Amino acid sequence: MRTAIALAAATFCVSALASAPPGRPAPAFTLTDLSGKPVNLADYKGRTVVLEWHNFACPFVQKHYRSGNMQALQKKYANDVAWLAVNSTAKTAFDYMEPSAVSKQLAEFRAAPASYLMDEAGSVGMSYGARTTPHMYIIDPSGKVVYNGAIDDKRSTNVEDVKGAKNYVAAALDEMKAGKPVTVASTTPYGCSVHYK
Amino acid sequence: MLRALLLLFLAAGSAIAAPVVKTEHVEAELIAEKAAFQAGKPATVGLRLRMEPQWHTYWKNPGDSGLPTKIEWVLPEGWKAGPIQWPYPQPLPVGPLMNYGYEDEVVLLTELTPPANAAAGKVPVKARAEWLVCKDICIPEKGELDTTLTLAAAEAAANPRIEAAIERARNNLPVDAPGWKFESSLTKTALVVRFTPPQGASVPAKVTFFPDREGLIEPAAPHKISRDGNGVRIEMKLADPPPANVKSVSGVAVTDAAWPNIRSRAINVAADAGTMAPLAGTTSSGSNALGGGTLAALFFALLGGVLLNLMPCVFPVLGIKVMGFVEHAHGEPRAMRMQGVMFTIGVLISFVALAAVMLSLRAAGTQLGWGFQLQSPGVVVLLAALFFVLALNLSGVFEWGAFAQSLTSNLSAKGRYADALLSGVLASVVATPCTAPFMGAAVGFTLTQDAASALLVFFVLGLGMALPVLLLSMFPRLLRVLPKPGAWMETFKQLLAFPLYATVAWLAWILGALGGNDAIFALLAGLVLVAMGAWFYGRWAHAGGIWQPAIAVMLGAVGIAVAWPGQVAPQEVSHAAPKAGELAWQPWSPEEVRRLTDGGQPVFVDFTAAWCVTCQVNKRVALNNADVVKAFAAHGLTPLKADWTRRDPRITAELASLGRNAIPVYAIYLPGSEAPRLLPEVLTPSIVLDEVSRLPAAKTAITLKE
Repeated sequence: MRTAIALAAATFCVSALASAPPGRPAPAFTLTDLSGKPVNLADYKGRTVVLEWHNFACPFVQKHYRSGNMQALQKKYANDVAWLAVNSTAKTAFDYMEPSAVSKQLAEFRAAPASYLMDEAGSVGMSYGARTTPHMYIIDPSGKVVYNGAIDDKRSTNVEDVKGAKNYVAAALDEMKAGKPVTVASTTPYGCSVHYK
Repeated sequence: MLRALLLLFLAAGSAIAAPVVKTEHVEAELIAEKAAFQAGKPATVGLRLRMEPQWHTYWKNPGDSGLPTKIEWVLPEGWKAGPIQWPYPQPLPVGPLMNYGYEDEVVLLTELTPPANAAAGKVPVKARAEWLVCKDICIPEKGELDTTLTLAAAEAAANPRIEAAIERARNNLPVDAPGWKFESSLTKTALVVRFTPPQGASVPAKVTFFPDREGLIEPAAPHKISRDGNGVRIEMKLADPPPANVKSVSGVAVTDAAWPNIRSRAINVAADAGTMAPLAGTTSSGSNALGGGTLAALFFALLGGVLLNLMPCVFPVLGIKVMGFVEHAHGEPRAMRMQGVMFTIGVLISFVALAAVMLSLRAAGTQLGWGFQLQSPGVVVLLAALFFVLALNLSGVFEWGAFAQSLTSNLSAKGRYADALLSGVLASVVATPCTAPFMGAAVGFTLTQDAASALLVFFVLGLGMALPVLLLSMFPRLLRVLPKPGAWMETFKQLLAFPLYATVAWLAWILGALGGNDAIFALLAGLVLVAMGAWFYGRWAHAGGIWQPAIAVMLGAVGIAVAWPGQVAPQEVSHAAPKAGELAWQPWSPEEVRRLTDGGQPVFVDFTAAWCVTCQVNKRVALNNADVVKAFAAHGLTPLKADWTRRDPRITAELASLGRNAIPVYAIYLPGSEAPRLLPEVLTPSIVLDEVSRLPAAKTAITLKE
């Protein structure tokens, strides 16, 4: 009986991490941005949304900001998509950054997400099944997930690897812009673990 | 001498003098197993990473996040580096996520091979290693590890300190598990891997499966482990979205206890995805239970059953049946039909009964296959006595009289029906050890089915066997071409005794294979008494008294008691030197097959038994053919004989893994290929030559005994 309870508990804990595979409606959420203002996913209905799981303390994230790769994408698609960075790091985690510190870093890196959302409770990250920083999602104007996975195909922390990598997010956004279905709709994300509560 | 010692000392010194690279959280160094390398010979080096407490690096599949360690070797011209040999990982939970990796210390082994023409001396070697080391945060680190290896002419002693570290690392490498069977299947949300241990072994209670492929399963979801026969099935949550194109599943299975007879705590697991047969009890219920597989099996069972009539086992009994037809071909059609129906019922009852006995014994854990009844010496003795009595009757030694109805005389309609039923039963009992083409796969299919489907297959098999007789009885016009009964009938009847005597001879030979020379003598002595009883019955039993038949029956009973096999001593299988122009059979074992194929040799396995008539015919006609023997030698094909005359659970298990439950089965195992090629159940020299000629020519042909 004790085993059964333990098993049930284990199952419950794990099932906390849900998923958002391509083809399914994106889980709804309301989070606050760096200034404490609430942001609702439904606010962007009718637009394409990119979700980028983020944590500046992670060397994989650093790779894409030091190289300017992520900022370039944010700017390139600024007119077509709402780019939302999400930080699900728990307040208790070693690599948690206060919103003010995040703002400073964003400015230093000249990052340009439409909004940077704090998810200290981790509930949004878990509802999407976000595992790594970065972990990328694209939501189409109808609110359906069309991409879930890695930023590109070069799994490394090496800045040099950005050149010559196939960027899955850029490819998907270009296909959507051309009215074509997304060819590569899911990949295995790579990066640091999201440090949930 | 002193110089040599000094050199050795220097060499040993240089091998461990590799500098330790210290990064923020890791100490890295290269260690070489041997103090000196030899030209052309591979030797092992290890990258040792010592992590700060609670920091970890990653396995080849890092799990939810992370990065596997990379090593890029900078070697002198002509040197080769093998892949990283990954020790089995440990699960590293991170909140709701899971990583696979190593804490404290890991040694990643790599084999380096100097070229054959390498000159002795000092050789600089460099490893550019990159690893991601994580605790709360992740730090990508790298190190350029330089070392100087020594190349010497003679084999060098191992450095004890280093050797221990490398040996520890080796002990943590997953190993192959010979004799184990792995199957896997994917549902929409789950990956199931089934582990079936070899006979006599069991699966440890706790097993964790680490897949090689990233993004295949949800690493943090707990495994659901359940017992499945003598094996275990592990159900894991599939990643969402699930990966595309999963054709096979491979990985490492780790236990916290020990695998039986395996030195490592981790074994390699590989299976084609979707190879798992549906489990008994989990097949869908109701009228939809008949999948395409079952329908195909039923069709082949019917076809195989029909072809059974042409197999040598069934001939003697069928002869009797044919004579019955001759007698009645010109008689009443209705009685004729009834006979056909009774024969069919007799066949069906026997097939279903034999199958039910086999299935229930199997369920109780006995490893049995189709034809199992002839693996039991008692059954062989009883059958021999029965056929002998029938043959004596046909020879005219005695008539059944009023005591029992004759198999062939038609004193009453009832008697005719009874003998039709009986001949159906007899035909089935002797037919089962003969596998017909198409039947092997159908009977094998039942292994994976629940009892109801399995019985259905055997029922249809019986129906197929009875079908020709049944059809003939339904359309007696087909039989009008046969001559009218007359005096020739008596001659024909006596003639039919001889196939039955031949059957007795065959049964005696089976008994010899089961119990040796003594068993044959006991049987023959017993049969003499049985013959005496039959003669006594024929001579005096019709006088009307009660004691004459009683004496006759007593003589028969004593005869059977004499013939009854004692404790059958397991016989050493004798492997006499092959005669000229015959294949040099070696005894089969799964280990032998593995040893030979690992050594690059193809193997031909003959799954056979003394009681399998088809097997004997194939051996004489197709396998001991001069051209076939030459072709075996030319292609270096080693013939192994798996003798199922006696019960052998290893053979039953091997047959089951080939999807078979009856013999003959002929299989060619090729090096580097898991699944063997199966040949048809009925062989001709050209079929065998055709198969053998497709093999690559042998590098070293086996010497042929001419």
